[in-house]
Amino acid sequence: MKRRDFLRVLGVLSGSTLLSACGSKTSKTFVSPILPPEEGVIPGEAYFSPSTCTECPAGCGLSVKRREGWPIKLEGAPGHPINDGGLCIRGQSSLTRLYHPERVETPMLRNDRGKFKAVSWEKAFSLVSESLAGSRDAGRKNLYLSGRTTGSLSRLIDAFCSRLGVERLPEFEVYSHSAVAEANGILFGERDVPRYRIGKADLLLTVGADILATHVSPVSYTRELSRARSREDFRWFHAEPHLSLTGANADRRFVVRPGREAVLLAYLLRQVLDRGPRRSGLPQEAVDALPRFSVGKASEKTGVSAEELAELADRMANARHPLVIAGGVSTSHRGGLEVAALAGMIQWVTGEIPRLVDFARNEKYGGTGTFRDMEALSARLSRGEAGVLFLSRTNPVFSLPGGFAFRENVRNAKLSVAFGDLLDETMQEADLILPLSHSLESWGDVEPRRGVVSLVKPVLAPLYGTLSEGDILLRLMGAVSGEGPATGYRDYLFAEWTKRFGKKGKDAFSRNGFVVEALPGTRVTLNGTKAAALLKDATAEGREPETPVLVLVPSLRTFDGRSRGLPLLSEIPDPLTTISYGRWLSVSPGTAKVLGLKDRMEANVSSGGWSQVFPVKIQPGLAEGVFVASRDFVDSPPLATDGRTGEATWFLEGIRIGKSGRVAAIPILSGSPSQRGRGLIPDPSHRDEKGHHGKESFYPEHEHKGYRWAMAIDLALCNGCSACVAACYIENNVPVVGKKDHLKGREMSWLRIEPFYGETGNVDFLPMLCQQCDSAPCETVCPVFAAYHNPEGLNVQVYNRCVGTRYCSNNCPYKVRRFNWFWHTWRKPLDRMHNPDLEVRGAGVMEKCTFCIQRIRAAKDRAKDDSRKVRDGEVTTACAQSCPTGAITFGNLLDPESKVYRLAHLARAYRVFEGLGTKPSVYYLGGAKGGPEKEGHG
Amino acid sequence: MDKPDKLARVEQDVLSAMKRPGLAYLAALGCTAALFLGLLGFWGYQMKTGMGVSGLMHPVGWGVYITNFVFWVGIAHSGTLISAVLYLFRARFRTSFNRPAEAMTVFALLVAGLFPLIHLGRTWKFYYLFPYPTQRMLWVNFRSPLIWDVFAVSTYLTVSVVFFYVGLIPDFAIVRRYKEGLAKRIYGFLSLGWTGTRRQWKNYNQLYLFLAAFATPLVASVHSVVSWDFAMSIIPGWHTTIFAPYFVAGAIFSGTAMVITLVVPMRKILVLDRYITDDHFESIAKILLFTSLIVTYSYIVEFGLAFYSGNPFEMEEFRYRALGDYTVMFWIMIFCNSLAPLTLFVRSLRRNVKYLFVLSLLVNVGMWVERFVIIVSSLARDFDPYAWGTYTPSIVEVGITLGSFGLFFTAYLLFLKTLPVLSITEIKEHL
Amino acid sequence: MENRMMFQDREEFLSALRNLAREGVPQERIRVETPYYVHEVDEILPTSPAKVKNFSLLGAASGTVFGFAFTILTSLSWPLIVGGKPIVSIPPFIIIAFALTILFGALSTFFGFLILARLPSVFGVVPKEEFGNAFVITVEPGETK
Repeated sequence: MKRRDFLRVLGVLSGSTLLSACGSKTSKTFVSPILPPEEGVIPGEAYFSPSTCTECPAGCGLSVKRREGWPIKLEGAPGHPINDGGLCIRGQSSLTRLYHPERVETPMLRNDRGKFKAVSWEKAFSLVSESLAGSRDAGRKNLYLSGRTTGSLSRLIDAFCSRLGVERLPEFEVYSHSAVAEANGILFGERDVPRYRIGKADLLLTVGADILATHVSPVSYTRELSRARSREDFRWFHAEPHLSLTGANADRRFVVRPGREAVLLAYLLRQVLDRGPRRSGLPQEAVDALPRFSVGKASEKTGVSAEELAELADRMANARHPLVIAGGVSTSHRGGLEVAALAGMIQWVTGEIPRLVDFARNEKYGGTGTFRDMEALSARLSRGEAGVLFLSRTNPVFSLPGGFAFRENVRNAKLSVAFGDLLDETMQEADLILPLSHSLESWGDVEPRRGVVSLVKPVLAPLYGTLSEGDILLRLMGAVSGEGPATGYRDYLFAEWTKRFGKKGKDAFSRNGFVVEALPGTRVTLNGTKAAALLKDATAEGREPETPVLVLVPSLRTFDGRSRGLPLLSEIPDPLTTISYGRWLSVSPGTAKVLGLKDRMEANVSSGGWSQVFPVKIQPGLAEGVFVASRDFVDSPPLATDGRTGEATWFLEGIRIGKSGRVAAIPILSGSPSQRGRGLIPDPSHRDEKGHHGKESFYPEHEHKGYRWAMAIDLALCNGCSACVAACYIENNVPVVGKKDHLKGREMSWLRIEPFYGETGNVDFLPMLCQQCDSAPCETVCPVFAAYHNPEGLNVQVYNRCVGTRYCSNNCPYKVRRFNWFWHTWRKPLDRMHNPDLEVRGAGVMEKCTFCIQRIRAAKDRAKDDSRKVRDGEVTTACAQSCPTGAITFGNLLDPESKVYRLAHLARAYRVFEGLGTKPSVYYLGGAKGGPEKEGHG
Repeated sequence: MDKPDKLARVEQDVLSAMKRPGLAYLAALGCTAALFLGLLGFWGYQMKTGMGVSGLMHPVGWGVYITNFVFWVGIAHSGTLISAVLYLFRARFRTSFNRPAEAMTVFALLVAGLFPLIHLGRTWKFYYLFPYPTQRMLWVNFRSPLIWDVFAVSTYLTVSVVFFYVGLIPDFAIVRRYKEGLAKRIYGFLSLGWTGTRRQWKNYNQLYLFLAAFATPLVASVHSVVSWDFAMSIIPGWHTTIFAPYFVAGAIFSGTAMVITLVVPMRKILVLDRYITDDHFESIAKILLFTSLIVTYSYIVEFGLAFYSGNPFEMEEFRYRALGDYTVMFWIMIFCNSLAPLTLFVRSLRRNVKYLFVLSLLVNVGMWVERFVIIVSSLARDFDPYAWGTYTPSIVEVGITLGSFGLFFTAYLLFLKTLPVLSITEIKEHL
Repeated sequence: MENRMMFQDREEFLSALRNLAREGVPQERIRVETPYYVHEVDEILPTSPAKVKNFSLLGAASGTVFGFAFTILTSLSWPLIVGGKPIVSIPPFIIIAFALTILFGALSTFFGFLILARLPSVFGVVPKEEFGNAFVITVEPGETK
C-alpha cells in the first residue's frame, strides 16, 4: 500500500489501542495517587497509633504501624509503663491473628445436625434474650464466664450481669497465680500478685517464676531485668526443678527437687533472720514454727549443693535490696502455698514491701478464679443448673483436667454462647458462637496493673461482621430490654473516660495510649498467727510430687495454648530445643541414655490412666527423673487440684516411660546443640588468647560515605525469647514455609536464635543474622552482581537480578542466606500484612537480612527533608526495636558518639569467625551473663 | 591384500555402521530418548513449581545437579586428551578411537551445559550470566568462578565442536561418495566441497595441528576452572589448592573410563576388531591406572593436610566425610576409584576387554560419587554447627540424572548412525 | 586438454610426480588430489608453508587483549565492591583472557583455514567426479618451462 495509507492505518491502530486502555475495568479499586483517600493519610507514609496488645493478659502497649489504612506491623509503645517499647514474640505475631484466614466471620449457630450455620446478629441476639428469659422461667441460672478482664469491659460485664440477672463467675485463667495470691492474702490481707520492681533490686531470686517468658508480665520484667543487669552489683539466681528459658538465662541456676522449694526458702529465711538484711521482724510464733535446716540437710532435701546454698545465703546477707519472686512451677504443686508464703515472708523480713514488692500497684489477679471454681462450675453444669452460659475469651474445654468432664458437662447448659475470634475447643462445643473483633478493630481499655490504664484503639474497621465484646453486651442489653442499645461501646467508653480523666485527660489518653494514675500507697502488715500456721508443716514430707514427674509448662510461643492457631508461632522454633512444628517431650541426657532414647524417637508416657505418645528431645541441663512438655501439647491433662489454693498442679506424677519403637518426623532446626569449640560464643576465660581483631587483609579498606551501618548484640542480655525473629518475619515479608520444608531444613528465618549448650548444661543464645561482612565471601562468587557491597557498608541483595545459583549461600560461613524454594503464597487476608516498602520474593531468589534497608531509606528521606544526617537512634531495625531486653543496638559506626560505636569498642566485643577475614559488621558483646559493662580499648 | 583394497575395506567396515537401523538399535534409542524426555518433563516441573522439588535445602545448596555438571565436563576432557594431546605427542595408537572420543567430548559437553541451566533458581533469566550490556549497563561479575565456568565451558564446547568438525571434513567427503540424492547433498555440504587438493591438505594439516595446540591447554584449564567453583570458596573441604590438578586427573580418569564403556560394546557390535585392538585397550588401561594413582594420591594429600593443619573446621569436615552421614558413598568412592583400578597392574587384566568394561563402569560410578561426596559433605557441615544438615536427592533429581545419561546416549547412538564412527582418513594414513 | 593420471598405489603416484617435477612442469599446472595427506608431495613440489598460523597468532593475541580490555573496562564502568576485592582484579581476569585467547585463536584459525583453503567450494559439494581412494595428478594444458 502507499506509505501514506500505511501511516494512517498505523496511527489509527495505535490510537485506538491507547484509547481502549483508558477507563479501568475495576473502577472500584482505583485509588487516586494524587488525592489522599482519607484526611491526613498520605499514601506511602506510615502512621503510628497507640493501642494495647491482647494476646496475653500482660497488656503491653502497642504502637501500630499503618500504611494506606492497613496495620502492617506492631511495635512496642516507647514509654509505656508496662513494656516501654519492647514487644514479645506473641505480641509481634498477634497481627497475624487479625488477618488470620480462619477467623470466625459471622455468628454461628449449631443446627439440629450439630453443624454450625451462619446466622445474623439479630437472630443471635433474639435467641440469647429468649434463652435468658426462658432460663429464668425454668429456674436455671444464667452464667457469665470470661478470661481475665480488666478496665471498662469488666465494669460493663458487671453492669450487664446485674441488669440481666446473670451470675458472673470468677474469671478463668489457666495461669491464675492463685497460690501466690492466696499466700499474700493470708499473710498480708492482699489477695493478689504484687508488682515486682526488679529494676531496683540488687539481688533477685526467682523460684520457679518464668519471668522472661510467661509469668504475669514478661516483657515488663525483662525490661527491668536489663536495667538491673547494667549495674555491676546485680545478681540473679533462679531455682527450679526443670529447665525453663528463664532458668537458662539466670546468672546462677539451682536445680531443686520437685516440690522441695519450700526447704530452700525456709533455709534462706532462717539465714535472713540470722544474718540479714533484716528490716522487719517476724513474730516469735512464726520464728518458732520455721523449720530449721543445716546446710547439709537443706542440700540433701533440695538436691542443691551445699556450696550453692551457702553462696546464696552469703549473697543474700550482703544484698541491700533483695527480691524473691516465687511462682510458676514452684507454686503449682501441693506445697505451693507454703512456697509462696515463704517467699512473701522473706520479702517482709527484708523490708522490701512496698519498695520492691508493691501491693498498691498489683497485677490485678485478685479477682481471677481458680481451678476449684471451675470444678464447681462443671459440677453445676452436670446438675443441669445452667441456663445461658456465656464463655468469653476462655478455653476451659481444652485447659481443664479431663477429670472435670467439662466438655461433656457444658452440653448440659441450655444455651452455651462462646465469644472468640478463632475456633478453639470450647467454641466447638458451644451452641452459639459470637465472633469477637480483634483488638486492632475495637475500642476498649485494659488495666493490666492497678493504676495503669492502657488504650485499645481500632486502626481499621472490622474485616468481617464481628463486634467487640462491649458492643455485644450493650446490644444484648438493648435487645433484652427491647429499647435497642443505649449507646455503642465507643461512646460508652468515651463517656467513662471523660468521667474518669476529664475531657482534657481523655484526649490525652486517646493520643498517648496510656494513663498512669496516682495511687495512694498500701501498708501491709504480716499476720503472724497465720504465718506460723503456714510454717508449721511447710516442709513436711509427702507433699512433693512423686518422681519421675512430667512437668507441663506454659509455652513461650503459645502461652497457655491460646496462640496455637497463629502460624508464625509454629514457624519460629522454641529457643531451647529449636523444634518448630509438633510436640515433644524434653528428656534429660542421663535418662535418655538409660532408656536408649535418641532425639525424635517416640516415647509413651503414662500416669495413672492417662497416656500419650511424644517424640523425644534430649534437653541438656534437665535433671534426671524430670520430664518437660508444653502444657498445650496435652489435651485435658489429668492434673490434680490443690484444695487450699484451687491451683492445678503442673506435675503428672509417678510417670512411666516406654519406647514406642517409632521415630517421629519433627523438625529440629539446629544441626548441633554444641558449638564444638568453634568460638561462636567464646569462653570468657579464653578471651585474651587471641586478639579480637581479625586477620589483616592485603586489600585496602574501602571507603564508606556518610554512614557505615553496624550492629552490636549484647549476649549477656539476650535471653533467646525470639521476639526479634517474629518482628523480622513481619517487617520483611518473610514467608512461613510450613512443616514439610522445615523437615528438609528450609526454614526462611533471616534472623535466628542459635542455642549453644556448654559442658555443664548451661546454654547461651546467639542471634545469628547476616553479618553484612566488609569482605563478604558471598559477594565475590555471585556471577551477576546480585550481591554486592554498597557504600554504606551493607551487603545488599538485589532480588530482581538474582538468578538463583545459590553459590552465595554456599560460601557464607554463617549460613544466613535463605533461598526461596517455592513460590510462597500468603492465604488471604494475611497478604494485607505485607510491608509495601519491599517486595515479596518469588521462587528462585535468594534473600537475607538487609539491616532493614527500607527503614534506613525512610530515615534518610526524612533526614534529607530536614537537610541533616540521620541521628543516632533515629533509625533502628525491626529486631532491635522489638527486643524486650534491649540487647540489639543498631547505628552508624562512623559516628563516634553513637551507641553502637561505643559498644563495638568495648573489651568484650568480638565478631563471629573473625579469623576467616570476613570483617563482619555485627559485633557481639560476650562475657558472662550479668557481667558488668567494662570500658576497654578500641 | 593390496593397499587400495585395504583402503576401501576401511571405508566399508566403518561405514557399515551407518546402514539402516535394526530393531535392537531402535529399542535402545527409544529407551535413551525416553529418559531424555523424562529429563525435560522433570525440568519443566521444577521450573514451574520451584527448586524445592529437588532435595536441596539449607545448607546444601548444590547437590546432584552440580555433581552431574562436573561429572560430564570431566568426561569430556578425556576425549580431548586422546584427540588433541596424543596428536601432539604423535601417539599412533590414538587414531583408532579418536573419533568416538571426540564425539564423546562434544556430547558430554552438551549434556554438561544443560546443568548450569537446570540448577538455576530462575532458569528463565539465564542470560544474566552472559556479559551483555543490560539496560542499566550492568555487566557480569568476572571475579565469580561461575562466570569463569561460562567462559571456559563455552570456549571448550566451541573449540571441541570445531575440532570435531574439522576432523570430520575429509570423512564427510568419503561418506558423500557413498550416498545418493539428498543425503549426498547434505554430506557434501558438510564436507565443504572437500576434494583433497594440495592446498586443502597443506592448510588442513596446519589447522589440525594448531587446533590441537589450542585444545591441549583446555584439557588442563577447563577442569581447573570448574574445580575452582569449589576451591575459590571458603568452605572447609573445598578451599584447597590441590583441587585443580586433582580434578583434572579425575576428569581424565573418568573420561577414559567412559571411553572404554563406549568403545568396548561399539567394537563388538560394529565388528571393528581390526581397527581397535587389544593393544589399544591396554594403552587406555594404562592411562586409567595412571590417573587412578594420581587421584588416590590426591585423596591422601587432602586428608593428610586436613589433619596436619590442625584447623578444627578442616579436621571435622574430613572426619565427617569419611565417617559421617555419607560414609557409604565415601567408601564406594574409595573402592571404585582407588582400589579396583589397582588390579590393572596385572597385564592379563589390562588386556581383558570384558574386565576393562566392568571396571570402567565401576570407575564411572566411583567418579560420580566422588563429586557428590565432595560437594555435599562439605556443604552439609561447615562453620556454624547450628546450620548443619543433611541432603537427600529427590526423585526429580534422580530423573534428571538418568535423563542426562539418556541424552548422552541418544546423541551417541545418533552419532553412530549418521557420522563415521572411526576416523577413516587417519586410519588410512597409518595403514 | 587436461592430462589426468590416477594411481591406486602410493609409490607409483609419487614416482609419476617426481617425473613431472623433473620434466619441469610448473607447479601451477599440476593439481594433486589425495585421499590423505602425503608429505612427500611437498618435498617433490616445494611450496610456501601454510599461512594458517598467522591467523592463529592474530586471533590468540586479539583474544588476550580483548579479554583484559573487556573485563577491565566493564569493571571500571560500574565499580561495584564485591568482597572487598579491588575493582581491577587481575587474577580472575587472567582466566577470562586465557579462555578468550583460546577461543578467538581457535576460531580465527578455522576461519583462516577456510579462507586459505578456499573452502567451502561450490564445485566440491556434489562433485562431478569422485576419485575414491585414488591418487590423482591432473596437469593443466600449458607450456612447460
